[in-house]
Amino acid sequence: MATVPLVEKPPAPAVEPPTPNPRKSIRSYWRLYAAISPFYLLFLAFGLIPVGFSLYLSFHRWDGLGSMQYAGLSQYKYLLSDTDFWSSIGNTIIIWALATFPMIFLAMVTAVMLNSAVRFKKIYRFAFFLPNVTSVVAVAIIFGSVFSTNFGLVNALLQAVGLDQVAWLNTPWGIKVAIATLMTWQWTGYNAIIFLAGLQTIPGELYEAARVDGAGPVQTFFRITLPMMRPVLLFVLVISTVTGLQSFSEPQVLLQTTANESTFSGGPDHAGRTMVLYFFQQTFDNNDFGYGAAVAWGIFLVVVIFSIINWRLVQRRGED
Amino acid sequence: MRLSRRGLLRAGLAGTAATALGGLASGCAVPTGSTGRNMVLWYWSGGLSDTVVKKAKARYDSSVDLDAIQIGGYYRSKLITTMTGQAHIPDIAGLKGEDMASYLPNADQFVDLRTLGAEKLKSQYLDWKWQQAVAPDGSLIGFPIDVGPVVQYYQPAVYEKAGLAYEPDDVSSEMNTWDKFFAAGEQLKKRIPGTYILTDVGSVFEMSIGQGTTRYVNRDKHFIGDGEHVRVCWDRAVEAKRRGIVSDLVTGTPDSISATEKGRLPSQLNASWAAGDLKLQYPKTKGRWRVANCPGGPSNVGGSFLAITKACREPEKAFEIITWLLNADNQAQGFVDAGLFPSTPASYDMKKLREPDPFFGDQITMDVYGPAAEKIPVAFNSPFDVALGQPIKDEIKNVGVLGKDPKKAWRDAMSKCRRIADHLGVSH
Repeated sequence: MATVPLVEKPPAPAVEPPTPNPRKSIRSYWRLYAAISPFYLLFLAFGLIPVGFSLYLSFHRWDGLGSMQYAGLSQYKYLLSDTDFWSSIGNTIIIWALATFPMIFLAMVTAVMLNSAVRFKKIYRFAFFLPNVTSVVAVAIIFGSVFSTNFGLVNALLQAVGLDQVAWLNTPWGIKVAIATLMTWQWTGYNAIIFLAGLQTIPGELYEAARVDGAGPVQTFFRITLPMMRPVLLFVLVISTVTGLQSFSEPQVLLQTTANESTFSGGPDHAGRTMVLYFFQQTFDNNDFGYGAAVAWGIFLVVVIFSIINWRLVQRRGED
Repeated sequence: MRLSRRGLLRAGLAGTAATALGGLASGCAVPTGSTGRNMVLWYWSGGLSDTVVKKAKARYDSSVDLDAIQIGGYYRSKLITTMTGQAHIPDIAGLKGEDMASYLPNADQFVDLRTLGAEKLKSQYLDWKWQQAVAPDGSLIGFPIDVGPVVQYYQPAVYEKAGLAYEPDDVSSEMNTWDKFFAAGEQLKKRIPGTYILTDVGSVFEMSIGQGTTRYVNRDKHFIGDGEHVRVCWDRAVEAKRRGIVSDLVTGTPDSISATEKGRLPSQLNASWAAGDLKLQYPKTKGRWRVANCPGGPSNVGGSFLAITKACREPEKAFEIITWLLNADNQAQGFVDAGLFPSTPASYDMKKLREPDPFFGDQITMDVYGPAAEKIPVAFNSPFDVALGQPIKDEIKNVGVLGKDPKKAWRDAMSKCRRIADHLGVSH
């Protein structure tokens, strides 16, 4: 767990304290260890063991019921050459980018507006948080009608300003935009609240000093607000990466099709098939549990790579 | 005894730890399955008639505690997880028709119903349905619940306006081939612009495959999805697209629902159980629908089974319950309650299945479903059909929705199928 000291070490005392005996300390702290044990036991049973098992599984062929056959590295070899897997990574990243950047922009604008004095502030905060606690399935069903070709709200608006209809849920790009819009709508409020919390930690004196120095609102925003918000911004970016890479329910419900078709196919040309959706299809539609496990580890690697990029970003910013 | 606060805390922690450890251990140590007196039945919502289940509970009350549980969510994965976990396995389990092929290679996990005397009842059930539950080693692992004969649902008023046949018998005979059906679609589109006889090309492909006796992988684990029988179905679907009788709407979206209500999509090729969906989705269109034969002959979509797992302590009793639940009388009740189309031809003549249906303009729909169900061809379903049929279905959808070049789509489908076949150890 966390080993980083939260406070600086006090200067060494003049008299050396008796060296602590680790065994003795475990014995005398057993109550504390026991108190935190339920989490670790449950984590072991429902977290660590399944994770280990999935790794074991990825070296086997298994239909879920019969006996497992050892398959060596063949599942991973197939994974590397599997164009469907690579395209699902591409889809996930494109949808993530389409959703995240507008979301961060909108959330920031919302937060700054909320932070300046307005009435009914609490009601706004509540309202902005609401999309995030609404069931994804319900949201996706609503968005399905909002983006429908002939009777959807979006196309009605497009036509009102004299533009052509777009078959949102029928074209590869339309699908991606629709899913991204849904995710943006869902997460903007949540992130605005986090930004707002960040904004409120910026000391007022900085703004006062800026005003004294004759800075305008735009200059204040770019020179004071934004730099001070950097850690919060990075936090939001990390969280959105984690949620974005896991997107599953949004495309699944939005692109739900008829009974004789797979609900995990992600629409025409698999345009909305994200990594997790692909994992689910391989595992539970095709009953290919071994390959499903390999896909899951592939997803894990992608997430690790993204985390490293994020981490490097934070590190470099820290050195500035 | 007075308990100090600390003592209470200690007792609570010890309890938690014991429960956690106990929970871990029980997974492997506790005996599986029933105790004999208990009889657990797993099915899904709408999988069996609630009335019949209730009656069965009352009927067998003196000998067993029949505990019929509706399992929500992704049924198959919950069932196989439980079976692999070797604990709390149901004695009787519903197996969905579309999953049946994937259970067959693991026939050893189920009781061979032949050993319980199933053969004696065979003549009462549809033969093709019975064959679907026969494993490669000859054992019978499932007992037929329902079937899903495919028919043409259509709105007679729209057909009449377009100058097409509109009485069920006339539609059945005048659109009995795919070609005549497509020609009708062309006439419909010409007479009433903006009206399409087909929502998507997928249904043409899927129903055509169902009309044949071979699918994607044969008994010898050889890929045959590149064969002539699939190619014919593919070309037929492409032909429908080329003739411009397919809408560009996606089934189930608000667009297609609205178009159906307005009579712009006046027909659907779908299984018997889709009648329930029609009634739910388009309540306003009551009385405006009829049922006719599917062009090109009968086909089947869905329909399920009941199986007895190896964990069952009293297979004889379980078999008695299953055969009672699924006798011709109770199957008829299943159709009335849940739209489960009987797999017992004897039900088709029963009075309660010959009631006029007001949703279909008081038509006696059994006249169409019944004969269709009896004529469905026997096809071999391979456990690899799902994985190897999907690329072909995906590509035909790309042709239909995105207008992808059919030749390229077929090539892409075949190269993907070969790659998947290699991976799954299926020869090609």
